[in-house]
Amino acid sequence: MNRHSRIAAIGGAAALAALVLSACAPQAPETSSTSSPDAGDDTLTIATTTDVVNYNPLVGNSRSDYWVTNLMYPHLLSIGPDGSKEAELAVDWGYVDDTTGFYEIRDDMTWSDGEPLTAEDVAYTMNAVKKDAPAGTYYGQMANFESAEAVSDTRVEITLTQPDSSIVDEIGFWGNVVPQHVFEPAGSVAEFANDGSEDGWVSAGPFELTKVQVGQSYTLDRVEDYPLVESGTPIPASIVYRVFPDVNTEILALQSGEVDAIANSLPPSQVEQLKSAEGIEVVEVTGLGYAHMTYNMQNPDLAKLEVRQALAHAADYEAIRNVVLQGQAVSTGSSPLMPVLSKYYDDSITEYEYDPELSRELMEEAGYTASADGMFPVSFRLIYSLQDPVTSQWAQLVKDGAAEAGIPIELQGMERNTYLARTNEGDYDIYAGNFAIMDDPATNFSLSYLPGGAINYTYVDDPALNDLIAQASATFDEDEKIEIMREAAKIVHDQVYDNVMYTQNLYVAHSSDWDGFISKPSELLSIVNPVSLASAHKVSE
Amino acid sequence: MSIALFILRRVGRGLLTILFAVTVTFLLLRLLPGDPALAVASPNMTDEARAALLTQYGLDQPLFVQYFLYLGELLRGNLGRSFTQSIPVIDVLMQRLPWTILLTVTSLVLTVVIGIPLGVLAASHKNRFLDRLVQVFGVTGQSLFVPSVGIVLLFVFGLNLRWFPIGGAYDDAVYGMEWYGSVLSHLVLPVISLTLIQLGSYVLTMRATLIEALGEDYITLAKAKGVPPRTVLWKHAVRNAMLPAITLIGLQLGFVVGGAVLTETVFAYPGIGRGIYEAVTQLDFAVLQGAFLLLAVTVVVANMLTDIAYGLLDPRVRTS
Amino acid sequence: MTAPIFDTELKPVLVDPAADDGRRASQQTWHAFRRQPLGMASLTILALLVLITVIAPLLAPYPASYGTDVLQPPSAEHWFGTDSLGRDVYAEVIWGTQQSVIVALAASAIAIVFGTLVAVVGAYVPKLDAVIGVVVDLTLSLPVLPLMILVAALVGPSTTTIILVVAAFSWPEVTRLVRSQALAVVKLPYVDAARLMTRRPTWILGRHVIPAVTPVIVVSVVVTASRAVLSAAGLAFLGLGDPTTWSWGRILYEAQQSGAMVSAWWLTLYPSLAILALVLSATLFAIAYNDARNPRSNER
Repeated sequence: MNRHSRIAAIGGAAALAALVLSACAPQAPETSSTSSPDAGDDTLTIATTTDVVNYNPLVGNSRSDYWVTNLMYPHLLSIGPDGSKEAELAVDWGYVDDTTGFYEIRDDMTWSDGEPLTAEDVAYTMNAVKKDAPAGTYYGQMANFESAEAVSDTRVEITLTQPDSSIVDEIGFWGNVVPQHVFEPAGSVAEFANDGSEDGWVSAGPFELTKVQVGQSYTLDRVEDYPLVESGTPIPASIVYRVFPDVNTEILALQSGEVDAIANSLPPSQVEQLKSAEGIEVVEVTGLGYAHMTYNMQNPDLAKLEVRQALAHAADYEAIRNVVLQGQAVSTGSSPLMPVLSKYYDDSITEYEYDPELSRELMEEAGYTASADGMFPVSFRLIYSLQDPVTSQWAQLVKDGAAEAGIPIELQGMERNTYLARTNEGDYDIYAGNFAIMDDPATNFSLSYLPGGAINYTYVDDPALNDLIAQASATFDEDEKIEIMREAAKIVHDQVYDNVMYTQNLYVAHSSDWDGFISKPSELLSIVNPVSLASAHKVSE
Repeated sequence: MSIALFILRRVGRGLLTILFAVTVTFLLLRLLPGDPALAVASPNMTDEARAALLTQYGLDQPLFVQYFLYLGELLRGNLGRSFTQSIPVIDVLMQRLPWTILLTVTSLVLTVVIGIPLGVLAASHKNRFLDRLVQVFGVTGQSLFVPSVGIVLLFVFGLNLRWFPIGGAYDDAVYGMEWYGSVLSHLVLPVISLTLIQLGSYVLTMRATLIEALGEDYITLAKAKGVPPRTVLWKHAVRNAMLPAITLIGLQLGFVVGGAVLTETVFAYPGIGRGIYEAVTQLDFAVLQGAFLLLAVTVVVANMLTDIAYGLLDPRVRTS
Repeated sequence: MTAPIFDTELKPVLVDPAADDGRRASQQTWHAFRRQPLGMASLTILALLVLITVIAPLLAPYPASYGTDVLQPPSAEHWFGTDSLGRDVYAEVIWGTQQSVIVALAASAIAIVFGTLVAVVGAYVPKLDAVIGVVVDLTLSLPVLPLMILVAALVGPSTTTIILVVAAFSWPEVTRLVRSQALAVVKLPYVDAARLMTRRPTWILGRHVIPAVTPVIVVSVVVTASRAVLSAAGLAFLGLGDPTTWSWGRILYEAQQSGAMVSAWWLTLYPSLAILALVLSATLFAIAYNDARNPRSNER
């Protein structure tokens, strides 16, 4: 081949390659015009640390799953700053009688495929969850639920097996509504993957999921008509969730402008630093959860009240809050009623004081004698999840404090799955962990302190307490209910059935270029809840 | 030997290696302390699903039977089901594989392109200043800890200088040729990070190979004949060292892949390495096993190809 | 993660039982070694690190479980600053040296003993050698870090796990290095002569083969140990390290978990420097030693 033809051949090959390559690159979508003047063209990019792995909101979810599916499937109820429930899809809700509840829903919501969102969808979702029992928090709320019926296009009535004054609120808050015409043909909702592989997703939120790049990003485009936001149309043209497994990289990305917000809460040590960083706003999100230790009363030593009290007085809660949480945590007074739930909070319940000497006295009262090295002849295994960096840190402080009081604690940090397994089996002496969202005291107490309760990690069976909790469930008058719960909380505190150490306020960060976020309590909602994202806008110059 | 036989032998060896990897994985998961069911079934599964899976893999049967059941599943392309995402492992991995390949191949190409000249430089200035400099550079590069390098690069070039983006493999909402540009800009920092580590060892080996080549008799003969030193260096020594240089890349493949795990995590690059990190944090053993096997197969295939290419080009190798 | 050391970099040497001018080979090596500045420097650093391992309690108190000054940059009070729980980073690095060096030494010791035994036996018994060679080659061509991750995740994080995992995947490289040397030695005349004297293979192996491969083993020790440091740090960084003891990898892991890696540069810098110091000096030492052993490499 002579020079010229060789050059021509190379040139031709190069041109061909360029043509083929450009065909392989993603193509620009057709642009559509926006209708409302308020709505802009901006894309809000949010960073998260994990991929979305599950698109079925009825099955147990991780945070990323929840954030994305929350934008697609509405809840009946939302939550206000003091923990009480607010309207979302439902505009009115309550009880017809002791065993019948109701929801009145909006009539102006439609699914993204044009089908109207009616009470039929709501009833279907509830019945399907009860029948198919998908593993997750929704099903966990259904203990006293029997069936649901759509009595009109906008009204759903639910029948209960026994009086339960919390269930309407709880199901409304925790449960999503899914489209009957999509989920029903698929069979069991517990197994429906809803991965959008056929034609995408049918949703009814302010944004619809249009593009998924696994491991990289999730793109949700604006739905033009969303009644729940003030202007009627979500302002950002699209939301993109980008995945950064490393929180350091996330923070760098926020600082450099690659992302506009970080969805997961900031590690406590970074909050101060980011507050003073230029171009970044740090928003406080009311925490609804708490960290606690429970003492397994199946252990004969821990069955003794004095021993539990001794342990309770042997931890330096102030230090933990100051050091591990950088002062971002608040004491609940060692009470399971949290300050954020202002109606329920009882400030007469005070925190166990850190007093190793008192602990020693209590141990001796219980009949134990310290040996020559100052340690009592007991030993307790404290389990915690290694994947939880905050607990991993304060577990060590707890151990040191107990050592001061002469009580040996053996720390057993383990992988999350092992931790969950051991927790379920009751294979521990002291359980250390977090409870993420405690929005309703009565429900929480039932789960935590009734014998056989799903999270009764202390294995308590106190008849007086059981009685109070049962009463509260059946009491529909709020003031009465509050009184009962406070009494119950006192028992829990005095008997050390639960050692609630702190409730933590969370902080999330976003770029100063964006504003209009509406913060709601808990990490699952924070500033990434549907209404907030629909209202966010770029700050004009 | 004939070319056909040579290729056949290499392919056979490749298959043997893959079988070895499969066997090692199989044995490790069933013989190590810990719940052997973890090898196939997620603790989060429903009891029926779990029971079905355990029967499919024969976890109640003797080891021998389990082995063949396992092989059977693999041959059908079934790497199991991810514990955390309810999709087959093979889907999870194939989505990520292209990015890891892009990252590692680019890094290896760069390593060769930079490594050979540096090795030549060092060898031709043996034991003098330049050589020592290259040696120190090589050894240092080999001793760096990948995450530290990554974070420093991100901080300096990503944040402070804003030359490169932080995280991800490309920009969204970018199309056509611009998309390629964004892929490239996202690739730079991870590749630099990975290459720095590989380069050190590669340069040192090139140097050693060349020094050996320069000591050969035919070189002495060429010098005695009065061939100019530069020609001796490039036309003879380097040319003969080229082929081993390329095949050395094959040996490095296994390590590059390992380095990719740490690099992809730090740079949020959506490859298999990062998939491994995520699987570790969630103890998704199905994905961990699958990732290792897939990586092993990739490495073996790449090695096979380079070996065969080497064999085709250099007849001496075929007689080994 | 790391890069392999190739055959040509550490060539097996034609074994001279005695040196040129009647001195023992080891003495001659030492004299040649002493003349290399890089070699001596690296030996000093290695010795220093081992010293720190031993006298750690004298250098810094064991890091407290928490402190009040969180994420402070280096100061007179805290030479290396403090971490996200207010602990002194200097103390963490000092005590981390102990863990890192011990893990590296233990892992490489196991790998070397096992690897050498396998190599030497293989060299002596040709039938086994074929199998050994295949196993070694196969293991070396696999991506090892993902496998280490798999095992560590399965068994759970602890010092013993890390040591065993790193050792388990390091021995093939040792075997390969030692094997080529051992194969050369076994064919030498004096080994044949020894076979005339006795039929006991252990005597021949112990008295002749092993001493002859010792130099390669020395190099292996250092190289394997330094790579063990990188492997262990890598595993710790991914969260698979022992959470109850301090190691360099753990400092980096906690920095990463608390999101402080970028803003608190001292958390990344000092452990990284420590890793670099150990690995670098070990590798330079190995190279200098090898150069000293092989007189031909000193020719211009």
